[in-house]
Amino acid sequence: MNSRTFSLRRTPSPLAVLMSVALSAVASRADEKPAPAKPSEIKHTITGLCCREREDDLRAAAKKMMGVTLLSVDFENSEATFAYDPATLFPQEKPERFIELFDNLLKSASTHTFGVKAPSRLPRDKLTLIEIPVLGLDCKGCCLGTYHSIYRIEGVERATASFKECRVTALIDPAKTNRAALEKALKDAGVMLKEPGK
Amino acid sequence: MSKLSPTLARVLLWSLCALVLSGSSRTRADEAATRGFFEAHCLKCHDTETHKGGLDLTALKPEFASPENFARWVKVHDRIASGEMPPRNQPRPPAAEIKSVATWLNQTLTAADRARLDRDGRTLVRRMTRAEYENTVRDLFDLPGIALQGGLPADGMAHGFDKNSDALDISHVNMAKYVEAADHALDLAIATQPKPPTLLKQRISLARHVGHILGNGDAVLLKDKGLDPNYPPAGDQPHIGQGAHEQIGSFNTGSSVGVFRHEDESFNPYFLDFATLYPGRYRIRASFWGFQWDQGKVLPARGIEAARLSAVQLGEDGRGGGHPSYVLGYYDAPSLEAQMHEFVTWLNFKETIGFNTASLAPALNYNRKGRAMAFTGPGIACDWLDIEGPLHDVWPPRGHRVLFGELPLIKLKPTDQKGVRAPRRKVLNQEIVHVTNRPDPVSGLWTVHSEQPPADADRLLATFLPRAFRRPVEDSVRAQYVEQVTARLKAGDCFETAMRWVYRAALCSPDFLHHLEPSGTLDDHAMACRLSYFLWNSMPDETLTELAASGKLREANVLRDQVERLLNDPRSQRFIEDFLGQWLRLRQIAANDPDRKLYPEFSPYLQDSMVAETRAYFRELIARDLDASYLVKSDFAMINEKLATHYGIPGVHGSAIRRVTLPPDCPRGGFLTQASILKITANGTTTSPVPRGAFVMARLLGKPPEPPPPNIAAVEPDVQGATTIREQLAKHRSDASCASCHAKIDPPGFALETFDVIGGERTRYRSIGQGDPAPRGSIDPFIGIGFKLGPPVDASGVLPDQRKFRDIHEFRSLLAADSTVLLKNLTQQLAIYGTGRDLGFSDREEIDDLVERTQKNGGGVRTLIHELIQSKLFHTK
Repeated sequence: MNSRTFSLRRTPSPLAVLMSVALSAVASRADEKPAPAKPSEIKHTITGLCCREREDDLRAAAKKMMGVTLLSVDFENSEATFAYDPATLFPQEKPERFIELFDNLLKSASTHTFGVKAPSRLPRDKLTLIEIPVLGLDCKGCCLGTYHSIYRIEGVERATASFKECRVTALIDPAKTNRAALEKALKDAGVMLKEPGK
Repeated sequence: MSKLSPTLARVLLWSLCALVLSGSSRTRADEAATRGFFEAHCLKCHDTETHKGGLDLTALKPEFASPENFARWVKVHDRIASGEMPPRNQPRPPAAEIKSVATWLNQTLTAADRARLDRDGRTLVRRMTRAEYENTVRDLFDLPGIALQGGLPADGMAHGFDKNSDALDISHVNMAKYVEAADHALDLAIATQPKPPTLLKQRISLARHVGHILGNGDAVLLKDKGLDPNYPPAGDQPHIGQGAHEQIGSFNTGSSVGVFRHEDESFNPYFLDFATLYPGRYRIRASFWGFQWDQGKVLPARGIEAARLSAVQLGEDGRGGGHPSYVLGYYDAPSLEAQMHEFVTWLNFKETIGFNTASLAPALNYNRKGRAMAFTGPGIACDWLDIEGPLHDVWPPRGHRVLFGELPLIKLKPTDQKGVRAPRRKVLNQEIVHVTNRPDPVSGLWTVHSEQPPADADRLLATFLPRAFRRPVEDSVRAQYVEQVTARLKAGDCFETAMRWVYRAALCSPDFLHHLEPSGTLDDHAMACRLSYFLWNSMPDETLTELAASGKLREANVLRDQVERLLNDPRSQRFIEDFLGQWLRLRQIAANDPDRKLYPEFSPYLQDSMVAETRAYFRELIARDLDASYLVKSDFAMINEKLATHYGIPGVHGSAIRRVTLPPDCPRGGFLTQASILKITANGTTTSPVPRGAFVMARLLGKPPEPPPPNIAAVEPDVQGATTIREQLAKHRSDASCASCHAKIDPPGFALETFDVIGGERTRYRSIGQGDPAPRGSIDPFIGIGFKLGPPVDASGVLPDQRKFRDIHEFRSLLAADSTVLLKNLTQQLAIYGTGRDLGFSDREEIDDLVERTQKNGGGVRTLIHELIQSKLFHTK
């Protein structure tokens, strides 16, 4: 998490810019009578969104977050758009910590099954999509367990594990990892890989 | 046979004369006859040169102060009186001559024994046993489950029981432990808050605590008697990542847990959302049902399954797990029909509730292909477990009131109490990880307040001391305790601390720890104690104390009523458990684990059922006042389904022990053929007629055999199936020095060869070497059989009096026919247990009278208890 915060500082993302703007607006009105802050629409990259069945879980978790509204979920890109006012939600905190703090909030609301992270620094065309057919992932817990087994590998930017489609996908930085590393991690976690042709 | 030398003969004659003059009123003619008897029939073998059997009569002096010497004379008497001596191969003396000598010896020994008892008293001062101590503290402070025994040094045992002063020594170690125990009891008894702890109500799902076996197919989640769609059973693929499932809430859905796996070395599930913070009474409710699992389908069960709940003592932070401290019970799990069980139990600090699929055979899916989806077999479902407590119907609790009456609890403000040391309070934390119950917030330091400490101390001690000491306490004794309170107050203690100091002293004093009885006939209070420690293994209650105080307790009809009341009270179960634990050695039921290859069907459920049977059977003998023949033979048994299956008796379902009429020709019925006795008398691998025969002689017939001579190798049974124990014993018995004793010991043991080490009936020995393939019989189909059937069992034998028996049926009939022997032994055992001393030679007449009176009144066990308690034996120190 620290390294992601650091990278955010060096390469400001559109989200950080948006937050800075919002904060500047709050600061400029500091001497005025405080008015209810207007929530901003903020898009986050979501971790833990391993399968479509987890979209409802994300909505349920968001409902537990005071001052936060989940507006939409983009499963394909592992993104979700929330409405909240960062300055109200995280008073007296620096903007560069907002992602970390929002991540903590979401984790608390979801028993650590969801989180947020800074968007990938690599453009999509530099990433490689790996699909690995698997057997017997039959519940959301298994999907999450499978997801955890590969998502922690350095170079994995996004991942899914679907028990309906019997498939694990990962969007990877080919410079850092490869299919074999993913398959090994899956096997180590106890996931049975579907043999080609079967 | 050597001749008696003139010198030795003179010594003997001198001894005999001295003996006669010292204790007998025999005429000179009788004296001469006695002398003649010894010369004619005894000295040939028992003189200095031959001293057969180690007995040299010429050296046996009539000095009865020596217990060893006295015991030798008793043996001489018994051998002559029973006709055992002179031996069969020698000329028989005329019966009148035998009777004359026996009578003379009897009178002499009785007189000597009475002189000893007059000098020393019958029952010496003895301390409470560990069980008595624990029960007494429990009853004194209304702490019915406080665990104290385990912290006290083990008691010794003499004459078959731990209640005898000969075995109850006391040392600095005992005293140190008594101080600890007293502190622990006072900690629990004294209220430290003005209100009771918040009543906790918690519903716990087993799912959260068996995630690992759910993931690998040794358990499944069920909803509405079917599969839980959100957590399918593990198949070829186990569930991935237990942590992920816990995070996502897979185990928090309220689903039932269907468990296939029996507890084992690495699997002991607990309801670990809860660990006791406040020791006390808790109401437990649990819902169980049974089912048949067939590769993903939930079907009706094969019958009523049984789940076990136990109290599990956790150590430190609970990460190291715990083991069942004690079984709370076995509970029925009917087929596809949830049954709710409810009970109130005491739980100690850091105890939680454990679960086990008691009636299931060990079955493991985690390493099998297909796991739960390929498994077909029985399962037990646990819907939930509710825990509610601690339950208090009064506050402060009764234990506190015993100590402080109605004195108020006040919030102590240090500024108001300058120079007064406040009581120390332990900070209560939930130390067990994973559990969710937490202590109440502390609302300040509360303590007992007294406006007039010395007067209150005197008043409180005037009630407490007689109650704790189980008899009136002199004013001077109480004054000493009050002085100590005053001294502590002057030293700066607050009232509670000062009182606690003297309460602890009282609980460690000889007045509390010992049974103090007056010499001669017991007074009413001593009688109340003897009665209650006999039938409740604890202190007298208020009724007994009041009757003692009014001087009415020893009136025959009052005493009879009280015996009835005590026997009908649930506390009499303590007597049954304590007495049987020692008389029939039930305490040793877990002394060995049966060999798993030879006896794979053995389980803790079977063992607990064995013990429950023996206890229930004895209770039935008392309740129905059945006669002594029932000790060895009856037409009913007290069994549950587990035992019924073990015994091959059809038609018994469920875990509850109940009275079952036995089929004709069934070898069961009576203690002798109960699985508990048969397990206790075996070593877990093999049976031997020797220990079993010795057990029957000592425990049921009252004729304990002589210890084996030194340097005699024990017979080692052959589990390879090449030879039988009977064949090995035959070689052993060919040795003349062994033959005479084994002629008495072996026959009962031969008859009991009908049963294996876990009490199963057999016609052939089990073997792990040679033999034929073994049929499954009643063994659960999920239990693998690796043993074979070896040589056939021969259960026939010949009793020392030459009566023959072909099998266990005939042997039991022979024993039952002589119920006087059985009744006399039971009388002796109860008398030793009830009075806390061994029986002397001079008690024999009283025992014989007791037996006779009991038989005249029907011969029942309940009648015997009444007669014993009415007897002079019981009323005398």
